Amino acid sequence: MANGTVAAKLPSAQEILEPSASSLLLKRVFGHAGMTIGGGVLLFIFLIAILAPLLAPHDPFDQDLSKRFLDPVWGAKGTWLHPLGTDGFGRDYLSRMMFGAQTSLLIGFAAMLISGVIGTALGVAAGYFGGRVDMIITFIITTRLAMPVILVALVVVALIGSSLNIVIWVLGLLIWDRFAVVMRATTQQVRSMDYIAAAKALGCSTTRIIFTEIMPNVANALIVVATLEVAHAVLLEAALSFLGLGVQPPTPSWGLMISEGKGMMFFKAWVIAIPGFALFMLVLCINLMGDGIRDVTAPENRN
Amino acid sequence: MLFYALKRFGVAILVAVAVSIVTFSLLRFSGDPAAAMAGESATEEDIEYVRKHYGLDRPLPVQYADWAVKAMQGDFGESIYLKRAVSGILADRAPTTMILGALSLSFALILAIPLGVLAAMFPNTLVDRVALGIAVIGQALPSFFFALIMIIVFGVWLRWLPISGHASWLNFIMPSIALGYYATPAIMRLTRAGMMDVMSSDYIRTARAKGLKPRVVLFKHALRNAIIPVVSLSAVQLGFMLGGSIVIETIFSLNGLGNLAWQSIQRSDFEVMQAIVLTIASFYILLTFLADLLNAFLDPRIRVS
Amino acid sequence: MKRTIMTAAAVAAAVSMGASDAMAGKADDTLNWSTTREVDVALPFYNNVREMVIMQRHTWDNLLYRDTKTFEYKPLLATSFKWVNNKTLEFKIRKGVKFHNGASFSADDVVKTYNHVSSKDSGVLTKRNVSWIDHAEKVDADTVRVHLKKTFPAALEFVSGPMAIFPKDIWATARKDAKGKPDYGTVAAIGTGPYKTVKIVSGESVQMEKNTNYWKGSPKGQPSIGKINFRTVADPEAQIAELLSGSLDWIWDVPKDKAEELKLIGINNVMNVPTMRISYLTMDRAGRAGKGKDNPFYNKKVRRAIAHAIDRGAIAKEMVGGASQVIHSACFPTQFGCTQDVPQYKYDPAKSKKLLAEAGYPNGFTTDIFAYRQREYTEAVMGYLAKVGIKSSLKYMQYKALRGLVWEGKAPFHHMTWGSYSMNDVSAITSHFFQGKRDDYCRDADVTKWLAEGDSNVDPKVRKEAYKKALTRLQENVCWLPLFTYAKYYAFTHDLDFNPTADEIPRFFTAKWK
Repeated sequence: MANGTVAAKLPSAQEILEPSASSLLLKRVFGHAGMTIGGGVLLFIFLIAILAPLLAPHDPFDQDLSKRFLDPVWGAKGTWLHPLGTDGFGRDYLSRMMFGAQTSLLIGFAAMLISGVIGTALGVAAGYFGGRVDMIITFIITTRLAMPVILVALVVVALIGSSLNIVIWVLGLLIWDRFAVVMRATTQQVRSMDYIAAAKALGCSTTRIIFTEIMPNVANALIVVATLEVAHAVLLEAALSFLGLGVQPPTPSWGLMISEGKGMMFFKAWVIAIPGFALFMLVLCINLMGDGIRDVTAPENRN
Repeated sequence: MLFYALKRFGVAILVAVAVSIVTFSLLRFSGDPAAAMAGESATEEDIEYVRKHYGLDRPLPVQYADWAVKAMQGDFGESIYLKRAVSGILADRAPTTMILGALSLSFALILAIPLGVLAAMFPNTLVDRVALGIAVIGQALPSFFFALIMIIVFGVWLRWLPISGHASWLNFIMPSIALGYYATPAIMRLTRAGMMDVMSSDYIRTARAKGLKPRVVLFKHALRNAIIPVVSLSAVQLGFMLGGSIVIETIFSLNGLGNLAWQSIQRSDFEVMQAIVLTIASFYILLTFLADLLNAFLDPRIRVS
Repeated sequence: MKRTIMTAAAVAAAVSMGASDAMAGKADDTLNWSTTREVDVALPFYNNVREMVIMQRHTWDNLLYRDTKTFEYKPLLATSFKWVNNKTLEFKIRKGVKFHNGASFSADDVVKTYNHVSSKDSGVLTKRNVSWIDHAEKVDADTVRVHLKKTFPAALEFVSGPMAIFPKDIWATARKDAKGKPDYGTVAAIGTGPYKTVKIVSGESVQMEKNTNYWKGSPKGQPSIGKINFRTVADPEAQIAELLSGSLDWIWDVPKDKAEELKLIGINNVMNVPTMRISYLTMDRAGRAGKGKDNPFYNKKVRRAIAHAIDRGAIAKEMVGGASQVIHSACFPTQFGCTQDVPQYKYDPAKSKKLLAEAGYPNGFTTDIFAYRQREYTEAVMGYLAKVGIKSSLKYMQYKALRGLVWEGKAPFHHMTWGSYSMNDVSAITSHFFQGKRDDYCRDADVTKWLAEGDSNVDPKVRKEAYKKALTRLQENVCWLPLFTYAKYYAFTHDLDFNPTADEIPRFFTAKWK
């Protein structure tokens, strides 16, 4: 398993593709119900994000300074006008939560796509061509692994300014490592299969082989990693926004809402509890989905 | 073994150099160091003066070479803001982060390994489910949110723990938990898988057949073998924690490298930012190198392939 | 429900104050005060943050002391003063005062201090505080003359404000920096004031102790509290937690919402006190960032539209605090020469939209807005602008970085504050912003002329006339729109008898335990 050449050592793809804690939990407790529940909640969040402009009771940017930090409906002076209360500028919290879902999902998926393209390209190339190419790419991956992602992201964003687009690109350009490692390992496995040798013997071009033979067979692993990376990107954006170097106000972002609410956290804990819990649920469901997919598509994984 | 070690060491150095080049270039391309350093009362002339004086108008490779040579001697330049040698500042702040990292990893191991072992020993039971449940939550809970919740509960409602500063070891409890919790799932999962692997292997069956007591089997043989991959994983996780310390240190106002990085980012203190990224990366590289060696030492098959 | 838990916890904490944090409050005769800012150099002239201004008043004395209630200049280290001519001040020096290190205070110390800080290589950070001084000379053992560079009636503000008196030999003890030049910020913190600075941990804490030999008869009174310890607590939440648990006795700059909650809990004194700090919006009338359509602020109608778009009263009342007031003129109401009798812009979003349309922006426009503190206030402004169609993107940065951009003309729309160094003379604000220099985005030659008249004349009537013309024109130009005055929330233990002043300089030397 270990690649003992001069090339740098990479983390084992096996570690990443191993059934995770949650998938094992699923099997034990819920059978495949976990994936269903996770998927269901995820779909719910998706729908809210997409339909936010229609569903949200108020404009998330509409500030009214005389209505700051109103309690949610279960609080002492809460009303149904603002079921989740209002934030420090009098903006409806429920509406901001809904639009915040848009931000999280958008950044999560976009960053995943960018990192997916980069990581897959590097990983497949390394796995397919081997030799020098593999050595160089492995070195690149190891270098990237050695750099502390959140630090580098913060530094770059601090220097060039931050916006939704910049966050997406900075994250996308940084989190491709897992894609690369897994794609490399799976491509290596697939490459040694007979049908690849057959295709080569038939004179198929490299491009053709990669796209028609390799890709379909690594697709399962790719999807698993893709879901992991969406979750990863969502958490990273939340951390960046929490520190003030992610999405900028007044754009709603759950991480930013936690940061904005931090001042009142001793007095009105719901201001940070609500977006924090939402983040937790989103990431949890994405993970459950990813693990469900892993189980369903690769049942031969050991327990 | 020695040959292997030298090979890995050579690669480690190369990676460190690559990281320093990338970081150096990133900083230079993202902002104007001269303007940042000239700071306060800078006019165009002032900025030009700083540019010339600090050699910031030289071609990038020349600047890098100059920096690299000095860095190898331990001279990371001078912080514009604090007007002190960067290496001194780093030396002051590093211990806090090292302590935080060590405590976080300890917490993760203390929580994850026993849980993993128990889960492996009693698969499909409540114990297994609880263990896996804890891991599942750890993967999904944002560490900064977890930190804030702990502050509210333990710092203010219950008043058991201090919530900022570095006055005593108590100040490290909540940060270590917040930082370490994220690493727990991976370690637990690996321990569990490793244990189950080893326990069902021929080696263990033979030991059992010989009549050795189950507990002896468990601890002397199974755990020892299952731990090997956990060692490398721990090294990697520790490296990640050092990088992730910036968020936790900022929340708890611990004066470590992470907090310093945050302050330097806000103050555009280039020299310090660069030095910190390189320092943390170097630690990661060192840790993975040591883990590699340990693995190779414990499992001879690795050296040979 | 939550509040009950909070109160119970807090009360339990207050009662068990001795438990975890030893050096707390009245029991130890130690006042622990904190802000979120770091103090790295604890020396006046070489650090100009507010915390240093406060510590300066405690450890050092000046020649004069400005009474906080009557605003008259009282004798401090000088027993009397007079204007010899428009450019010369003469002071009679007090006898029998000793520095904290035992050295006797004399006229030589005054002369050396004034000459050092006004010299070219002094490295003093705030040039404005010392650039008015030409030189000081010792006339005789009891008399010192300070010569000004030009007529400058506000000189007394500086004499009683930043001009702390140091021992004459102290500057020679400066350590050399890496380039071999003396770094005067490293000299010991020795003065004649009611408190001695006893320990400095750069960036973390500064400890002061009562000067039991403080000279009698000082208008500062005699110090009562034994120890005064400053600590940086960077995290505002940590400050609150420590205040509630008793390990901190005094904090300020508490945001209104938190302060109101603290008040409800009731274990601390919570006060909202007006300050001289003004929050203002600058709009680039001078066209420094361009004169075309890409700089909408060059257009007067746009500037007027913005002035009408913001509900300043709501921000002041809801976000800043009860003691905050909306002002309309580029000065603080108590400053000499200030008048609110200038063009005023009422909150009128409809009018704002109309003006924007007339200016050629019927659908508003997009812009950056720069700020460096209390971003919530700027975000509130942004919210109002959004309602009339102006989408703004916040460029929030450190003060020094923003100041650099402002100076380079790259910040055509910025939201900043000015405290006038707590000086009660209009020139403390107008001469900074409107004399055609790098902070001036108005660049109106008439205004500059009128201000120069006001600054250089000693006749109060002439000064007031000149200032009124300038202030009126400034509001007609709408290039510098004052929003509101800051009001600070203080929160401190009930054991402390403390009176805040509007100049944002807490005088712990007049405070005592109850």
